[in-house]
Amino acid sequence: MAGNNTEEVEGSATTETKGTTNTEVPPEFLIKHPLQNTWSLWFYDNDRNKTWEENLIELTTFDTVEDFWRLYHHIKLPSELRQGHDYAVFKQGIRPMWEDDANKMGGRWLISLEKKQRNSDLDRFWLDVVLLLIGENFDHSEEICGAVVNVRAKLDKIGVWTADTSKQHANIEIGRKIKEQLGIHGKIGFQVHRDTMVKHSSATKNLYTV
Amino acid sequence: MSASPIARQATNVQAIPSRRVLITDPTQMPDVYSSTPGGTVYSTTPGGTRIVYERSFMMSLRQSPISQTPPKCALPAALLKNPNSVPNVIQPSPAQKARSNSISFDESQETFSMDL
Repeated sequence: MAGNNTEEVEGSATTETKGTTNTEVPPEFLIKHPLQNTWSLWFYDNDRNKTWEENLIELTTFDTVEDFWRLYHHIKLPSELRQGHDYAVFKQGIRPMWEDDANKMGGRWLISLEKKQRNSDLDRFWLDVVLLLIGENFDHSEEICGAVVNVRAKLDKIGVWTADTSKQHANIEIGRKIKEQLGIHGKIGFQVHRDTMVKHSSATKNLYTV
Repeated sequence: MSASPIARQATNVQAIPSRRVLITDPTQMPDVYSSTPGGTVYSTTPGGTRIVYERSFMMSLRQSPISQTPPKCALPAALLKNPNSVPNVIQPSPAQKARSNSISFDESQETFSMDL
């Protein structure tokens, strides 16, 4: 199983960097590790002269763990973005909008962060969510569409978008996993995109809660 | 040394998972007919498994030299931590716009003169 190997490799990698000799590079450092899916990184610019859709830019795609890190190391963290900006990471071919065919029947697990959490939790939560997605860490990862982080004046938000709101079992498993991984103690709610379309997210009632 | 299945695949010979085993003596043959000399070739799982990485493993790859290299794709300067560290930066500068305009202008001129 991959899980068992993981820890051994991690250990050897650490000793390698600490040691004085560089003769043997760990095999994990010589290759790129392919992901199950190809993912697109999107950016939402907040240019008032443009339409919402024009502001949404697909920056690039990545399909290996290393290519994800290359991006991550060089682009700003969510907390460093301007207010009004978003990042989104979606499976290639799915646009981060309700109207996309893959999202039409879907919803999102919503994590709202208070302003004080921007410095303490926002970047950590976002990284952990993206790693959960690209590492395929959900039992029902086929239900995952992507994730969005909104940097806003009042509440920063992280949403994990899934494909089909009627799949209760799958959606709840995904919600529980997110909550457990991020170490969230309070409740998080799942909202149907169709409800969010007509009301403000704060007024949208939750279909599921974990 | 033990490595992840992916690393094992990549750092060993990767082409077609087959090999030739030279048999010089009958004693080198396996005891059972179900086994191939030198071991079975079906030692890896065929395709169809989902590639799953745990967080801790992906975090350990964060410091890999490959992970440190700048991304090749063009990215808006406003999004970069350090715009000078990345080769392809999209700079919305007026100078660049002027230059690209002049290029297209030159091209059309050249086409025109060739037609003459």
